[in-house]
Amino acid sequence: MTPAFLARAVLKPKGHSYEDFEIGRRFEHHWGRTLNHGDNSLFTTLTLHFNPLYTNVEFAKAHGHPDVVVNPMLVFLTVFGLTVEDLSEGGGAFLGVEQLGFAAPVYPGDTLTAVSTVVARRESASNNTTGIVTWHTQGFNQKAAPVIDFKRTNLINKRGAAP
Amino acid sequence: MKISALTAADNYFEDFVPGTVMRHARGKTVEAIENVMITNLVMNTAQAHFNEHAMKQNRFGQRLTFGGVTAALIIGLASQDTAENALAELSLDKIRFTNPVFHGDTLYAFTEVLAAIPADREDAGIVHFRHWGVKENDTVVFEGERRVLIKRRSHWAQR
Repeated sequence: MTPAFLARAVLKPKGHSYEDFEIGRRFEHHWGRTLNHGDNSLFTTLTLHFNPLYTNVEFAKAHGHPDVVVNPMLVFLTVFGLTVEDLSEGGGAFLGVEQLGFAAPVYPGDTLTAVSTVVARRESASNNTTGIVTWHTQGFNQKAAPVIDFKRTNLINKRGAAP
Repeated sequence: MKISALTAADNYFEDFVPGTVMRHARGKTVEAIENVMITNLVMNTAQAHFNEHAMKQNRFGQRLTFGGVTAALIIGLASQDTAENALAELSLDKIRFTNPVFHGDTLYAFTEVLAAIPADREDAGIVHFRHWGVKENDTVVFEGERRVLIKRRSHWAQR
């Protein structure tokens, strides 16, 4: 027998559609993320990233850092992750990234936040249910100093298209 | 601690010759521990990467690996040969995801040295790489360029 609550439940939808991305629209993304030593060690070892700056604190200090450095690819993926609900959760393939710059080192205990602006969009020539959107995303630490910025392009479903 | 003893001696700035193409020694099979764990660790909320049930109703029929995970794995697989003596990762550009990656696919990394140029400090230089990520059947899944600040042997090999 089907539980009765299923018939009463209303979907709480997430994400945006192509129509929501007017050029220039700015998103201050949710949550933020404090990166700790465990995040950095887990990510760096799982991705086989063998630069001791990320895994050996004495080595990092010998290079003038106060602690291990957070793996820049973890900085990239974390800032990216914070943007997903606003930007790309509505579906469509992740196509590419341009002009990504790492502006400053991130250390364990730093808290990252993300902001994005729509910089381009166009209809798909081959599929009338999707479009192509490009955003400029910036990541900041807790002192509001920029740590990363990049342009990301995705296929994005139009309203009503299946995710 | 003698820091130069902790990394290899064949991947300083002086060692990177433009035009060289490297096939990196190790591959890695992508499974949930890479895709789902890292996707969730970085709070990427797109369930295409972690809801197998939903993806069974999608044209792919299974979870897709987050492109950021693919990028991090390819750069990771290339890292011992291209970043072990890096002082800093500077930039990425022209990143493209050319085919989907599924759980069970094995990734390998290839790298071309595009340029090696002086930096604004005398103890390091900037190496410009192009990376490719391929599956076990040589399908290209990732392409991208990367610039890295790498120590010069002349300044770092005895430290």
